[in-house]
Amino acid sequence: MAVTTAVMTEAGGGSPREPGRIGWLLLSPLIAWAFAFVVAPAAIMLVYSFAHRGTLGGVVIGFTLENYAGVLDPVYMQIVIRSLGYATITTLLCLAMGYPVAYLIGRSDEKLRNALLMAVMVPFWTSFLIRTYAWVTILKSQGLLNSVALQLQLISEPFEMLYTPGAVVLGLVYTFLPFMILPIYSSVEKLDGALVEAALDLGAGPVRAFSRVIVPLTAPGIAAGVLLVFVPSLGIYAVNDILGGGRVDMIGNIIENQFKGNARNWPFGAALGTTLLVSFAIIYWFVNRRQRAASSGGSHPAG
Amino acid sequence: MLRSATRMLVTLAVACGLVAPAAAIAAEELNLFAWSEYVPQSVLDGFTKETGIQVNYESYASNEEMLAKLMSGASSYDLIQPSEYVIEALVKEKQLIPLDHAKLPNLKNIGKEYWDQPHDPELRYSVPYMQGTVGIVVNTAKVKEPVTGYADLFQPKYKDRIVILDDSLEIVTWGLATQGIGPDGVTRESIEKVRPILTTWLPLVKVYDSDSPKTPLLNGDVDLGVVWSGEAAILIKEKPGNFAYVLPKEGAHMFIDNMAIPKGAPHVEAAHRFIDYILRPEVSRKISEEFPYTNPNVEARKLLTPEQRANAASYPPGNPKLSTFRDIGPLAADVDKLVTDLKAKSGP
Repeated sequence: MAVTTAVMTEAGGGSPREPGRIGWLLLSPLIAWAFAFVVAPAAIMLVYSFAHRGTLGGVVIGFTLENYAGVLDPVYMQIVIRSLGYATITTLLCLAMGYPVAYLIGRSDEKLRNALLMAVMVPFWTSFLIRTYAWVTILKSQGLLNSVALQLQLISEPFEMLYTPGAVVLGLVYTFLPFMILPIYSSVEKLDGALVEAALDLGAGPVRAFSRVIVPLTAPGIAAGVLLVFVPSLGIYAVNDILGGGRVDMIGNIIENQFKGNARNWPFGAALGTTLLVSFAIIYWFVNRRQRAASSGGSHPAG
Repeated sequence: MLRSATRMLVTLAVACGLVAPAAAIAAEELNLFAWSEYVPQSVLDGFTKETGIQVNYESYASNEEMLAKLMSGASSYDLIQPSEYVIEALVKEKQLIPLDHAKLPNLKNIGKEYWDQPHDPELRYSVPYMQGTVGIVVNTAKVKEPVTGYADLFQPKYKDRIVILDDSLEIVTWGLATQGIGPDGVTRESIEKVRPILTTWLPLVKVYDSDSPKTPLLNGDVDLGVVWSGEAAILIKEKPGNFAYVLPKEGAHMFIDNMAIPKGAPHVEAAHRFIDYILRPEVSRKISEEFPYTNPNVEARKLLTPEQRANAASYPPGNPKLSTFRDIGPLAADVDKLVTDLKAKSGP
């Protein structure tokens, strides 16, 4: 959704037209889909989040704010804060690594560009879980990386990499990097080279041209990429279990535990889920508003 | 959906004359909802071959996951495989159909000690499938000092060399054991006693894993662990002489996984037939071969090889002090919160 908005914002000019009758007809499968798989589950989650815990799992419908009070409990707040930390680090690393790659792909000639894009997308051909388990084989103490380093005598004894916070960040960055590259690429591809040249001609150095021209013009892609990386990395739990050895619980693990673990506390899990959903909605709204403010502030930010 | 697809295939096969008419008449089904990697395919095939009853095996990875799906009522399961404390809760909530012992002639093969367990005395609602323990596994090539209990294991010298089950109730009961409280003694007061103990233990742990704790041990990433006996038995089988399994001297947790028929099961008759089939010594032996837990079927035990019976993880020597979990109701959420908190504080 964020990508669509970004692309629409980029397309810029003209007020969007109301879809006609045929438009609505074409949209109807999507609307039905969104209702069945987005709106309805979210509504169920909202109702559950105010319910009481059922004896055998499940809920007893009722009204209590206890579950939301639980979310604010310091025990869970420390995990929320940590999850935010991990998601922020992941997003920043993805941005730092993804931007140059996206820029290069976007500015290269068409043949090479398609090949590079393909390379970014190839990992999606394999299951995410299998790719994550592959990292276990690489990082474990008798794994690929350690064996090679030992062979080359770079290290004298195996370096502990698996089951560390570093491994979790690595796994997160690895998983989400393409989600940063693709939207930025789509912005870079549309970037008018003449504007950059103009900036350079008019005396801006490369740093200034980058920060005053290129970055503002690719901002929609950056915003979409940040959202696409930050939001899912906050909720994911498989990476911390597999690469982190289950030591660094994140908010996703806590939610999972309320349904599939000992706690058997569905209403609390629903309250955590609702809290995340609302926070995402707020972040999205905020980013979107800034985008709109930026684009209506003048179509030539360099001017 | 899968099930109706199977039915369609069966109908098709019958229509084309591919399936023998006898089997076609009895084209009955059994919806088995069991732990993943717990029922050998050969056993399912053998049952279908003999009775013509098609078995649909759906699997789960935790008791709570099973409960979630069962209680949603979305699927009609005939046979479930809960652990003892869940049997207790299900019986309390009247969610199980009493078993007809007349239809289970092989029930006599179940060992005496399983007939008076607190969760279901007299086995009115459940039949033990496999039993296991939770104990300490040690890589004897790397750890030379003897480890006989939790107190020996959770030592600063073993920091970052330990894997434990990612299961809050388990973890809390180990702490209780060091205080002389059994796994059935979980109360609001007793779990507070455990807090200071776990505060010193958890920072030593490198990996939490309930699904496959043997993996970090096999990979050499850790050298000690508190794991399911079946996992330890596999380690001992794969690398003989390298791993030892010890039941903690403070007292150990024993779990019993059972077969039971949930309320509303559409094929109660077929479920009874399956339970009785599983109880045959020669069938039960096949399960033990693939999944080396403790077999509650004493007749099946007699058919095992000497090596299988000598595996200390499957059949612990001596007369260890073992007890099962009890249903602790809403206290489960408090136990989980305690462990979540301590894990978060002791993590890297």
